[in-house]
Amino acid sequence: MRRGLWVPVFGMIVLGGLASLDRVWGQEKKEAMPEPTVKVGDMAPDFTLRDTHGKQVSLHDFRGKKSVALAFYIFAFTGG
Amino acid sequence: MQNFQQNLAKLEAADTQVLGVSMDSMFSNNAWAEKIGVTFPLLSDWGGEVTKEYGLYNPQYKAARRVNYLIDKEGKVVEMQLDNEAIDPTKIVTLCERRKTSGD
Repeated sequence: MRRGLWVPVFGMIVLGGLASLDRVWGQEKKEAMPEPTVKVGDMAPDFTLRDTHGKQVSLHDFRGKKSVALAFYIFAFTGG
Repeated sequence: MQNFQQNLAKLEAADTQVLGVSMDSMFSNNAWAEKIGVTFPLLSDWGGEVTKEYGLYNPQYKAARRVNYLIDKEGKVVEMQLDNEAIDPTKIVTLCERRKTSGD
């Protein structure tokens, strides 16, 4: 008889755990995205970063010469 | 980034330099660029300094929010696309071509 009790007790623990995980995930989903501080009409802050060959590339390299399409992406090896 | 690569000839013809930026390391960017055949620079913002300066750091993913900017020759932001809207750069391509013909 005692062993028979373990199944529902264990089941409730698992379900309870899942419910609280869901609450945590639900909250994360609702968390606000960061709000861009650089917007249309602003001067784009200059930067110097390294490309895949280690070469330094700066935004000011293109000043007066070319427009720049600057694409921030989330991670390499993902869709975007 | 594949979508930018597909439009690269059009963007270059419209005097536009494409730059990708993420918080990945140089090495993963390099491997990825080779895998998907990206020929424009993928820049590594290791540590996220630039991402944070632009207000795009997402602490939940410890990565940037997906955003495209079009910056004119004088360094001013003229267009911005956010999140899913930023996956397809057609709007930016069209804008670059229009600006080129209007002599902006």
